[in-house]
Amino acid sequence: MNSQRGLLGALSKGTVDMLPLSLAVLPWGILFGSLAVQRGFSWLEAQLFSGIVFGGAVQIVTVELIADNASLLTVLFSSFVISSRHFLYGLTLRERLSPKPLRWRLGLGFLLTDELFALSGDRRAYKNRFRLYYALGAGGSFYLAWNLWTFIGIVAGASLPDLTELGLDFAIAATFIGLVVPEIKTLPAMVSVLVAAVASVGFSLWEFELGLVCAAILAMLAGFVTARLRRTAL
Amino acid sequence: MTLLTIVLLACITFSTRYLFLEGRLPIRLGPNLKHLLSYSGPAVLIAIAAPIILVHDQHLDIALDNSYIWGAVVAILAAYKTRSIYWTIGLGMLVFVLLNYL
Repeated sequence: MNSQRGLLGALSKGTVDMLPLSLAVLPWGILFGSLAVQRGFSWLEAQLFSGIVFGGAVQIVTVELIADNASLLTVLFSSFVISSRHFLYGLTLRERLSPKPLRWRLGLGFLLTDELFALSGDRRAYKNRFRLYYALGAGGSFYLAWNLWTFIGIVAGASLPDLTELGLDFAIAATFIGLVVPEIKTLPAMVSVLVAAVASVGFSLWEFELGLVCAAILAMLAGFVTARLRRTAL
Repeated sequence: MTLLTIVLLACITFSTRYLFLEGRLPIRLGPNLKHLLSYSGPAVLIAIAAPIILVHDQHLDIALDNSYIWGAVVAILAAYKTRSIYWTIGLGMLVFVLLNYL
């Protein structure tokens, strides 16, 4: 009984911690739903995108490509390029998640968005039952929110104003700042974060599709090299 | 046909997420790779956040009236001082909203 209460607590804590991000993606969920319908997809197809593809950027880009009659190969390749950052998340969480039972790996693997990865930084993340349920609450609530926003976009998209200009994306930036800044405790970590900022802005201006992944890898290498140099210098 | 495309897309996003969570995949992370991956969380999050703050309409936006920058500065200070995610979001959003709508 007590442990059940604990797991319920973990689920709701995950949900609450994810809430800023769940709300921050509302404009994009609505944008996607209404875009898909405008581009000639049925309601069911539009909802299915969010239900099983479950990736904001992939969905928006591929809906445009499919509507423009791009070849299947182009559509699949673009989605692969955009999704490639997930390899990094899986690698990072491999040690902690790969020994877990299959149903947890499949479930949390399916839910492993940028947003869930953002809440996975804690040293104890995924270590015990409580932490697994916490992740399930965070990832699952984000999934429900994304699908609800999509549904609203499908039903009411055309009659709603464009909410992406509202600045809700700032909530994403603020959340990530709040997660990262307290973790910067060493010089290599500091260097890594600065390189990530400069490189990602540069790649973004250059409209480089793999910019996010490349900026992250450059930043990781910068941290790694800084740590090495300090060790040899001492 | 569209249905098939959506299912294939789902296979792609899911397999990129799941692949390395599979224990039977025959790779072992050496100490160097582990060290490298220890930077991945902050690196990815800042690589997502920085363009949100600094790039608008495909241009570098470092003007004084960019409320994203002021919000981010306050968020960074709040995060550093309070170490609390709630204060960081709260104070950052407060400044951002005040600058945008006053």
